[in-house]
Amino acid sequence: MTALVFRKLAAMPRLWRLVAVLGGLLIALALPWLIYPPIAMDIVAWALFAVALDLLLGFTGLLSFGHAAFWGSAAYTAGTIAIETGAPFPVAVLGAAVVAMVLAVPIALLAVRRTGIYFAMVTLAFAQMVYYVANQWRGLTGGENGLQGIPKNLFGLDLSDPFYFYYAGLPIALIGLLIAWRVVHSPFGRVLVAIRENPARSRSLGYPVDRYKVMVFVISAGLSGLAGGLYAVSHGFASLQEVYWTTSGKVVIMTVLGGIGTLWGSMIGAAVIVQVEDYLATSGIHIGPVNITGPGLITGLIFVGVVLLFRRGVWGTVAHLLRRRRHVPDAEPHLSGTTVPAAEQEPAVAPKS
Amino acid sequence: MTDLLQHAFNGLVNGSFYALLALGLAVIFGMLGVVNFAHGAFYMLGAFGAFILLNEAGVNFWVALLVVPLALGAVGMALERLLVRRLVALDPLYNFLLTFGLTLILQDLLRMKYGSQPQPYPQPAGLRGTVDLGLFDFPAYQVFVLVFSVLVSVGAWLLLARTRVGMIIRAATERPELTRAMGIDVGRWISPVFGFGIALAALSGVLAAPMRAVSPLMGADLIILVFAVVVIGGLGSIFGSVAAGFLIGMLQALGNVYVPGLATTSVFILMAVVLLWRPAGLFGREETAV
Amino acid sequence: MRRNLIPAISTLAVVSLLAACGGGAGGPSGGGGKISDDKIVLGVINDQTGIYSELSGPNAVKAVQMAVDDFKAKHGDDAVSKNIEVIVADHQNKPEVANTKAQEMYDRQKADAIFDVPTSSAALAVAGQAAAKKKLYFNITAATTALTGDKCNKYTFHYAYDTYMLANGTGTTVTEAGAKNWYIVYPDYAFGQDMEKSFSTAVEQAGGKVVGKKSSEFPNTSGDFSSQLLQAPAAKPDVLGAMHAGGELVNLVKQYNQFNLKDKGIGLSVGLMFITDIHSLGPDALAGTKFTDAWYWNFDQQNREWADKFKEKTGSRPSFAHAGNYSAAMNYLEAVQAAGTDASDDVVKNLEGKEINDFFLRNGKIRAEDHRVIHDVYLAEVKPKSEVKEDYDYEKIVTTIPADKAFKPVSESTCKMG
Repeated sequence: MTALVFRKLAAMPRLWRLVAVLGGLLIALALPWLIYPPIAMDIVAWALFAVALDLLLGFTGLLSFGHAAFWGSAAYTAGTIAIETGAPFPVAVLGAAVVAMVLAVPIALLAVRRTGIYFAMVTLAFAQMVYYVANQWRGLTGGENGLQGIPKNLFGLDLSDPFYFYYAGLPIALIGLLIAWRVVHSPFGRVLVAIRENPARSRSLGYPVDRYKVMVFVISAGLSGLAGGLYAVSHGFASLQEVYWTTSGKVVIMTVLGGIGTLWGSMIGAAVIVQVEDYLATSGIHIGPVNITGPGLITGLIFVGVVLLFRRGVWGTVAHLLRRRRHVPDAEPHLSGTTVPAAEQEPAVAPKS
Repeated sequence: MTDLLQHAFNGLVNGSFYALLALGLAVIFGMLGVVNFAHGAFYMLGAFGAFILLNEAGVNFWVALLVVPLALGAVGMALERLLVRRLVALDPLYNFLLTFGLTLILQDLLRMKYGSQPQPYPQPAGLRGTVDLGLFDFPAYQVFVLVFSVLVSVGAWLLLARTRVGMIIRAATERPELTRAMGIDVGRWISPVFGFGIALAALSGVLAAPMRAVSPLMGADLIILVFAVVVIGGLGSIFGSVAAGFLIGMLQALGNVYVPGLATTSVFILMAVVLLWRPAGLFGREETAV
Repeated sequence: MRRNLIPAISTLAVVSLLAACGGGAGGPSGGGGKISDDKIVLGVINDQTGIYSELSGPNAVKAVQMAVDDFKAKHGDDAVSKNIEVIVADHQNKPEVANTKAQEMYDRQKADAIFDVPTSSAALAVAGQAAAKKKLYFNITAATTALTGDKCNKYTFHYAYDTYMLANGTGTTVTEAGAKNWYIVYPDYAFGQDMEKSFSTAVEQAGGKVVGKKSSEFPNTSGDFSSQLLQAPAAKPDVLGAMHAGGELVNLVKQYNQFNLKDKGIGLSVGLMFITDIHSLGPDALAGTKFTDAWYWNFDQQNREWADKFKEKTGSRPSFAHAGNYSAAMNYLEAVQAAGTDASDDVVKNLEGKEINDFFLRNGKIRAEDHRVIHDVYLAEVKPKSEVKEDYDYEKIVTTIPADKAFKPVSESTCKMG
């Protein structure tokens, strides 16, 4: 009986999509009631950042190990705009995203000259260069002290309570996620996947492969900037940590943990890592006489485990198990191999089960 | 002029570390197509190895210089067998990610045991004080580091150029497809080569201990700079990696004198220029520029 | 699309579960920020595992707990509250973590005062939270003078040391003792630049001259300072002033010794040094080096007595940060006792202008104008190994710099309180 209902419901994909989206929204809205609101805001900002990275990693097959450059430069920009002009914070965050995109253009143009592992190393090195510049440019970034006291202006509303700021900031993140979703489900997104699958073939079909890569890189940087700006305003703060390579590493961990090429999986990865780090910083884990407080060991272990055993990530593994139950074949995901986003893999006719 | 030479010489000393680390990275990359992010962590472990041997067992620097690279080389082989190998068939980025995760773990383990406070390591007896190099005096230990690294680099080159094993490794490093196509069994050399690369990282760590503070984070920033070095030199080229290592050491030292504050940034600018001008690296060949 | 559904639902479940693990305590925070008066909560935010964990870290928490125990023992049934808690957070030296943790302590864990907070950037963040939440903050381990200058506020107090006190102490005293020509090497970031400026000013005011200064990159990836050191002898300085901290200082001193600068007649003077730095370098590497210390455990009997109690609890000797944390916590509790309430404004009123003498604060006074806590400080010299009688017995106190000369005068302060 239930199976029948299920099948009938399952035949209405639009409805299901609606339910899933509404469910996600519900969680997003409920989050600051469930956990400490500043941490909830962190999860949202990191989730957008991880989705932005997945746009590049999962859908174009390019591993950027330097996204801290965009997140961080946006954090500084949002802070500077908010402090110097007193503009409403969404304006500052938007400005930050624009600056991140501008910075992304030269880096992308240089980085796309190499692919694969080289691309990762080159982006990592350029991000480190941005870090050194931010560190030196004390007048703008405050150097080691960071930019402190970034105001949360919004037409005279008092947003000093992080609980209310969460609801003011959430729409910005949602717009960012919507953009990411649009990109993936557009003809542009399909070309990206084609490039990832077979760059040579795409090139021979007449697609300007490098230009596509630069474009998606810049879009990804813009979304990262949106997230970084939001994060900085939420904390009232932008520090060198934001441009440091560990930040780039952290977002890669989130994306891989959630599931490369699953887009929304990255959000789970972000939620897990932010929570784990918050938990470790507050209490630590006691195993016998050993007190594990540093996040490196735990996140490192989780990450190594995922890379070795669950390369599909959380979302991907769940999806895979369900698919297998219904005997839909799917392949092991490869970074620049065969992870085909859901939309591409759906068989034309639903299998009889 | 003497000043300039002195700074350049100093740059070569610092370049020694880049060169040895880059050489290890290049050999591993050539053989497995893997970029070992944990290279910096093994450099750190090398320094800690010397430190621990001295403090727990009273083993001196010279013994550590031999024992630590051998031990960590063995660890490297085990690492290759147990973990790296499982991912080799997949996209090489997975091994990059795996070794990144390992780096986080290794750093934190050492930090939990020894704290982040830098640990002292004394200079080996016989290499204290300065030596007269004709134009200027220089600390004896620094001179030793330079001479030793050059010897190791040359030794590695002779090993690669003159022995049969070396030929296979070099062929596999510089022309991987061709070597396999010729039916040479590259597989059995993978583990030892990985271990060899790790041993080189450990060796530079031991060399660094008396010069620099031994701390869990000593390899973290360094490795990113070494990535820039191998991009500049051309990762596919063994000679290129070593040459770029020394070159960038000099560039940084001179930068420190003439554009203080921008010395490291200048390395990344050089990388950008190289990418524009010769994407495969100064000494790389275009066909490996993928 | 249907395939997306079940993962989506599972995601919701996972996220909710995680949220639940996060320990609840969401929702809008209570209005007004009134403290429940049936308990006093002292929060310590510092580096529990990183590079500053030894000079403050877990042992600073124990020092604060010692103060709480001593306070309870002293006042017994008359104590303003018997319910006094100490809570801890690890900020990993990251300002944004310190910022979040301070907010969390004040809001969620009802902290009445926060202590310690090494690294200037983190301290400034906590000071900002203190001002916003109208709760107290006693800085002990951060060095920036901004806390009692441009960024001062009604609820923030600065204990122990700062960059002015270090430069003034070491720069002035060493110059007056005859080392007129200084060659300053400093790391190129906020702390190092502040130190360089403060030292240059102090040296010149004392009749000396800065014959050369060189910055080093921060962070110094290569761990190499030979470029800076190689250029020193040409300037013919009497003394090399090193403004680096922690691991960088250790590297710099190693290389200073390797380049034999001492034999070339160039002495070494260090901007900021903790006893833990001497411990990690070994006293021999630093023998003869002069620096300013806010407090030294083996200075006299009174200090030693406290240091012995500290050793019982922790197994090691205290740095000035540990002693400062104890003193700050004790004097905070005494102020609460005197005010009869932990309401911030009343406690601040009690503290302002107070003159205090305890084992840490000699001739101490809490300046009302900028909340700088002034006290005697010491010019110390590192003993050669042959004179070291026990562990951590590394310092010889050369002179005591009186409280009113040790810190930046109020007249020069840029602080605008209130």
